[in-house]
Amino acid sequence: MLKDTNKKAYIRLIIVQFMMVGLICFIGAKSFDIQIFDGRKLSIMADNDHSRYVTINGERGNILDRNMNPLATSTEAFSITANPSEIKDPAAIARKLSAILGMNAGKLEKQLSSDRKFTLIARTVPPAQKDQIEQLNHPQIFFEKDSKRLYPNRDLAAQVLGFTGLRNQGLEGLEYKYNEILDGQSIRIKIKKDKKGGVLSLNQLTQLKGKSIVLTLDKKIQFFSEKTLEHTVRTYHAKSGMALVMQPETGEFLSIAHFPKFNPNNFSAYDQAIFRNRAVTDPFEPGSAMKVFTAAAALENGFDPKAIFDCNNGTYKVGTFTIHDTHPHDWLSINQIIKFSSNIGAVKIAETIGNKTLHQYLTSFGFGEKTWIDSPGETAGSLLPYHKWSKIDASAISFGQGISVSAVQLISAISTIANNGLMMKPMLIKKIISSSGEDELVYRPEPVRQVISPDTARKIKRMMNLVTHEDGTGTKAAMDGYPVCGKTGTAQKVRQDKKGYSNTRYTAVFAGFAPLKDPKLAILVIIDEPEKKYHGGEVAAPAFKTIMEESFSYLNIPPETDKNMIALMSGGVKQ
Amino acid sequence: MMFDRRLIENFDWGFVILVFLISSVGLVILYSALTASGQSVDGLPVLFKRQLIWMVSGFAIMMISLIVDFKDLDKLHLFIYIICIGLLICVLLFGHLGGGSRRWLMLGFVRIQPSELMKIALIISLSSVYTNSLSSDGLNFRKLFKPIILCLIPFFLIVIQPDLGTGLLLLLIAGTITIFIKVERHVLISLALAGLSTVPLVWLFALKEYQKFRILTFLNPDRDPLGAGYHIIQSKIAIGSGMLTGKGFLKGTQNALSFLPEQHTDFIVSVLAEEWGLVGCSILLILYLFLLFWGLNISYNCRNMFGSILAFGITAMIFWQIFINFGMVMGLIPVVGVPLPMVSYGGSSVVTNMVGFGVLLNISMRNFSSN
Repeated sequence: MLKDTNKKAYIRLIIVQFMMVGLICFIGAKSFDIQIFDGRKLSIMADNDHSRYVTINGERGNILDRNMNPLATSTEAFSITANPSEIKDPAAIARKLSAILGMNAGKLEKQLSSDRKFTLIARTVPPAQKDQIEQLNHPQIFFEKDSKRLYPNRDLAAQVLGFTGLRNQGLEGLEYKYNEILDGQSIRIKIKKDKKGGVLSLNQLTQLKGKSIVLTLDKKIQFFSEKTLEHTVRTYHAKSGMALVMQPETGEFLSIAHFPKFNPNNFSAYDQAIFRNRAVTDPFEPGSAMKVFTAAAALENGFDPKAIFDCNNGTYKVGTFTIHDTHPHDWLSINQIIKFSSNIGAVKIAETIGNKTLHQYLTSFGFGEKTWIDSPGETAGSLLPYHKWSKIDASAISFGQGISVSAVQLISAISTIANNGLMMKPMLIKKIISSSGEDELVYRPEPVRQVISPDTARKIKRMMNLVTHEDGTGTKAAMDGYPVCGKTGTAQKVRQDKKGYSNTRYTAVFAGFAPLKDPKLAILVIIDEPEKKYHGGEVAAPAFKTIMEESFSYLNIPPETDKNMIALMSGGVKQ
Repeated sequence: MMFDRRLIENFDWGFVILVFLISSVGLVILYSALTASGQSVDGLPVLFKRQLIWMVSGFAIMMISLIVDFKDLDKLHLFIYIICIGLLICVLLFGHLGGGSRRWLMLGFVRIQPSELMKIALIISLSSVYTNSLSSDGLNFRKLFKPIILCLIPFFLIVIQPDLGTGLLLLLIAGTITIFIKVERHVLISLALAGLSTVPLVWLFALKEYQKFRILTFLNPDRDPLGAGYHIIQSKIAIGSGMLTGKGFLKGTQNALSFLPEQHTDFIVSVLAEEWGLVGCSILLILYLFLLFWGLNISYNCRNMFGSILAFGITAMIFWQIFINFGMVMGLIPVVGVPLPMVSYGGSSVVTNMVGFGVLLNISMRNFSSN
């Protein structure tokens, strides 16, 4: 044995033995160090290694019309992401991806050359392109479910709806104003690297979906009014136009039509000047349509519709200004002032009731104040405080100059008359429904105030009915079977140099409602800068009539026999 | 040659059982490493079957080798050595290229790695040379000349394959044996200094870029986390995430997703550590420690000096493979391709180790006073 043959070698062997034990124990200790002391940290690293985070974007909620027809909806699309830190050949991938996605290859290559672990290549990629990219079979390119906004009716109510940007964020209109409600929830979840798709159940995805908004708009009526408006604007070579349809009883808008239109699916192809909902955002001078509110103020102050005013045969001097009527009249009753749309008559009424009263009623009708309709960028219009009115201001305001209003304000005020003097808050949104389809928030018609007495309202309605009768300025709005109430407006536009009013550029307006006894719809048609003809009664009234007729037919509103009314009214006028 | 009954009586059953145990553990880990990476869909993975065949063959070779008396190796040592050197030269001439180096030789349909067999051959030669040049004062320069030449020839042949890891392992084994034999103190010091002085030369002229890179990366794995440092970082993550008891058989995730390269050869410890945790690592280390003790025990119980040195040399060979492999996987030493005995996939390694065990058994069972 070594022990006997070579004692020193034996001792060295024992030393070697201890060294081996020592070194093996050292390895054991290192193992302990890694697995016990660093174990938790390294486990997390291991976990991160084969898991990755994905963002799941819940689908954006829909925008629906009052009958639940989709106006804005979402279709399946994908986000393409990548892990650039592990991409070895960014140039080649960038070339392939850019070919499929139509992106700039150089920019993409730069993006894919970074050391970051995550980068977003594209959003709202349609399934067909996603499939093409999937066929590249690159392990560092990932797909996340996303959605793309779709407006199935193309340009229908585009200015009201607005649109969303590349990241599905609302940029205009209701999409913008209600972005937070419509927006789907996004969650970041951890998934196994080898797992492909099907990460969340359908139920979970539904929960992530944004809320939907049900509008008061009616797709059909919106369609009729847009079609009619387009026809009118084109016929008169007008610059633009608007047509609003409201239910006076509730203040609900059934249509807010604009022309020119745009297709929100492809908004970038259009001039952004037409994107806004001008019915809400743009003030204009309404012209003679305002006379009904002047008349209402007078009636509230004890005047009778038959009270007469001297209309000075068509010329009346206020300070240095001269006010004209289209047709000269001598004495006119308030009824006739409205029917014939006499400027001098309106001025005389205003002078009689005084600035303060006129201002009080105009304010009460909602002018100079926002209506707080659910649409972004609302204008309050402009109505100066009465103590700042000059003499000519006071006169002009009575027939709709020197005051500016929004289309929403005007139709809301007109509807107040139709609704027996009770003003309703204009409504655009009926309710908000959850992703699972339950009502979350239901908006109810909301009375604002009793502006005028029901009696005054009834008298004004009759007065407005006369406008569509023979010799009235709005005969072209008259319908068979339904007595129509309305008021024309033909406002000269302020000159481009802001010095006085233009003699060539007009705003043609017709505002009214029908049927007389129980008005179902109020309609406002505004045609901006029509050519050839420019009178509200000529240009806007026929459009009003067409929209009203088509809507009544669609809504099955029974004709009102108005024999008695005609007898009563004509009798009144004759006196 | 008469068959001695004492051979049966002295047969070291315990050692055979220990080898069998370690081999079984190795197969379990290898199975996990192979199936998880999806190398085979139905039945046993191909590489697992091959390893099984190698183990059985190795076992058979081990048993057959027992027929030859280990003392005959003393006489045959130069012959064996020359055959192995010849094989190494063949590798350089006709070798099979794999992974950027020529390490394998195709013999029919069997692929062998002569550098593995060279380890045993060198141990036998050194044992033989040292047996004849023993002195109580230790070895002097003159007596060291022959062993150094014996070491350097295969070392250079292996390094130019290139396989620096195996080359260094060869020097490490030879050095261990030499120190065990005892070297004169001043000789030892001069050799150590000479060795140290070559380090900068080696760094400047001998090492290839990737080898320098590996060493630098070892010193700081984070300098290249996706390249050379990748192995080390991923290996540590796999080991660490096993924690105390591991994730369970076939449950390793790092392993499953093939984050680890070479997980069935050099990095197989990471699979063990991930799936069986610290407990698994400790059990394997304890089994190895038993094996090493057994080897050393055979060495110092041997009445024959050649046998003692031979047993010591083989034990040292096993030890260094274990230490380097574990150390590499745990980030203690740079990445060098050294397989873990009886666990890593590789036929030549299995056979070499089995032959080594055979020699140990041989020494152990023939340890009776006949001369």
